[in-house]
Amino acid sequence: MNKDTMGIILTSGDRIHPLTEIRANSALPIAGRYRIIDFVLSNMVNAGITNIGVATESNYSSLMDHIKSGKPWDLDRKKGGLNILPPSLEQMNLGVIRGNIDMLAGIRDYIHRSPESYVILNLGNNIYNMDMAAIVDAHIKSQADITAVYKDYAGISEEAELTRYTLLEIDEEGRVRDIEVQPYYPKTTTASLDIYVMDKVLLESIIDECSARGDKDLVKDALVKKMGGMRIFGYKHEGYCYKVDSMKAYYAANMNFLNGALRKELFNPERPIFTKTKDQTPTKYGAEAEVYNCFVSDGCVIEGTVENCILSRGVKVEKGAIVRNSIIMQDSIIEEGVELDCVVFDKEVHITKGRKLIGQEAAPLAIEKGTKI
Amino acid sequence: MISKDCVAMILAGGQGSRLGALTKNVAKPAVPFGGKYRIIDFPLSNCVHSGIDTVGVLTQYQPLELNTYIGNGNPWDLDRSHGGAYVLPPYQSASGGEWFKGTANAIYQNLGFLEGFNPKNVLILSGDHIYKMNYGEMLKAHKESGAAATIAVMPVPWEEASRFGIMNTNPETNEITEFAEKPAEPKSNLASMGIYIFSYDALKKYLTADERDPESENDFGKNIIPTMLNNGEKMMSYRFEGYWKDVGTIQSLWEANMDLIDNPPKFDLDDRTWRIYSRNFALEPHYVGKTARITNSSITEGCGIHGTIDHSVVFSGVEVGKGTVIKDSVIMPGAQIGANVTIEKAVIGQKAVIKDNAKIGVSPAVDGNPYASKYCTHGIVLVEGGAEVPEGADIPKESMVEV
Repeated sequence: MNKDTMGIILTSGDRIHPLTEIRANSALPIAGRYRIIDFVLSNMVNAGITNIGVATESNYSSLMDHIKSGKPWDLDRKKGGLNILPPSLEQMNLGVIRGNIDMLAGIRDYIHRSPESYVILNLGNNIYNMDMAAIVDAHIKSQADITAVYKDYAGISEEAELTRYTLLEIDEEGRVRDIEVQPYYPKTTTASLDIYVMDKVLLESIIDECSARGDKDLVKDALVKKMGGMRIFGYKHEGYCYKVDSMKAYYAANMNFLNGALRKELFNPERPIFTKTKDQTPTKYGAEAEVYNCFVSDGCVIEGTVENCILSRGVKVEKGAIVRNSIIMQDSIIEEGVELDCVVFDKEVHITKGRKLIGQEAAPLAIEKGTKI
Repeated sequence: MISKDCVAMILAGGQGSRLGALTKNVAKPAVPFGGKYRIIDFPLSNCVHSGIDTVGVLTQYQPLELNTYIGNGNPWDLDRSHGGAYVLPPYQSASGGEWFKGTANAIYQNLGFLEGFNPKNVLILSGDHIYKMNYGEMLKAHKESGAAATIAVMPVPWEEASRFGIMNTNPETNEITEFAEKPAEPKSNLASMGIYIFSYDALKKYLTADERDPESENDFGKNIIPTMLNNGEKMMSYRFEGYWKDVGTIQSLWEANMDLIDNPPKFDLDDRTWRIYSRNFALEPHYVGKTARITNSSITEGCGIHGTIDHSVVFSGVEVGKGTVIKDSVIMPGAQIGANVTIEKAVIGQKAVIKDNAKIGVSPAVDGNPYASKYCTHGIVLVEGGAEVPEGADIPKESMVEV
């Protein structure tokens, strides 16, 4: 167990219109009952980490509402526990966050005060279930300055997909030799999963140095420039990892949960994914319900046809409605005779009788929270 | 210290022997109910919604699972700095120690606990009833009447009245005039629901006197209530009209589960102002496969369904294989049901394993059925939690399959 490691989660991320207008990327609902941040938080907790700082950028009220005291993750502690760290608006920082260095500088005091020796830093919005304790062990054993978790996407992703990632060129000894952030022409298939382990004092000195020079980005300004002088090692993650940075990726990341082998990996009972509980009733199926290949949360009432869908809690699908290939968030109502295909509904969307909404897999039709059509 | 207006005490020590193998290893209040609940979630949730934040849970029979389930009371918002949920088992003291002799003795033995909160009123509940009730309104009526005790009653069909403890009341004032335990010829159809509010001083006085009486069975219904009536204490009835069910038998437990999935349901849990809280585990949404067909049923998180389910209540973490058909059944948490299995009108216990091609509750009950049990009536089959039904087995109606 990693009592000597603290976790830091930065909740910034690429905007996914219109879902992130009202919430931080990390607070995006995913896989029915979860938020993206549940995966990294649970991974850290399952690794025995009990001091976790969540640095927020803006729009953090829904994130705070979700994690609150940290109870579902057993992070409501006297010592350590969960620390939600809103941006600091003081001195050098005028409220504009230019990059992750500004976020880290804003929480420097918290980092400094924490008693742990190591930091596991999460910069991205990825879906995975990994043994983070093993990563910290490997970091200590290799005597690396920084350990970067990566995945080899060879044969999994097309070249175009690779341009979404920070690519790491890694030599035979496992040492990172080159870093390119979202390169136009990918030279390698090994991509950073935005998870870095380092000594806490090193992180503090990087923050101080970058802040003093007006640098903005931890990877571009610190890691890339310091690569020669520091031992940065890669740690290969063999399992699944999916980056959620666009509507297309958000749709795909959700639909991937319909894959049985993947569900088994992500919902490994030895390393559970925790989330806020809402005490909804079990889901009810009506006399005419026809549901196939769906991932369904509690609290739904289904009387129509639903196929290849991800349903969050409390979704109502009335008689004669047909919903296919869609992601429907909490408390949405789909009335009689409605036909939906490839849509992404934010919370509390209400579609009245007989309407028809069709999107495309490559460009799902996304509807804002609370819309009534 | 702050004195509490009302402290609740839940009697959760009973075995519930008529539930057969379901309560072999757990106390009745810990028996799973309604897809994701345990029976005790109902009184606990009712308490917290009624504004009662201090609850003692009296345990005795097989308390381990129940104790773990209640824990610090957090799922019911009962982890409080002043008050909260407390599990109260029987204990040893300098003058010796003993098991709870009866319902009244159980409270008597915990007068020390009550004393610590200096309550004005004490609400006595039992841990084996399914209902939603605002005890706050009952407490208000109790205080307004100035009675020594107020007892919740509900009208039952006249032909069934002789199965209950019946309260004869003055219809003008709702004052209780007489109490008759299971009367052969009932004079009223108002049955006691086992829900009492006592003014604390009166409760203390009568419990202490009852304890000194060697003839007493130390029971609220048999001793305390009749004694108070005889002594001319003011006793009020409080009428309740909603859904209430004693789930003391396998048949009534099965029936109460079925009441949830009727259309419209006889008992609706989907009530945002009165949510029933439970200890939830971190389980993913349920997956409905390409070969599944689910109708008139309720399914809970963590399940994987690949067969046909009609008119059934399926609890969390249940796996149902391809070609399997389940009808009119209650499938408790973590049960693993193989392929091409047929299950009709059955209660399948927690983590039971039903192997491929088994038939449960299909063949008629016959004389000499090795699984026959007096607890399994009305055609219902019970498979004990953790039991395994082998491949191709044929379990007739009214069987009880044990580990």
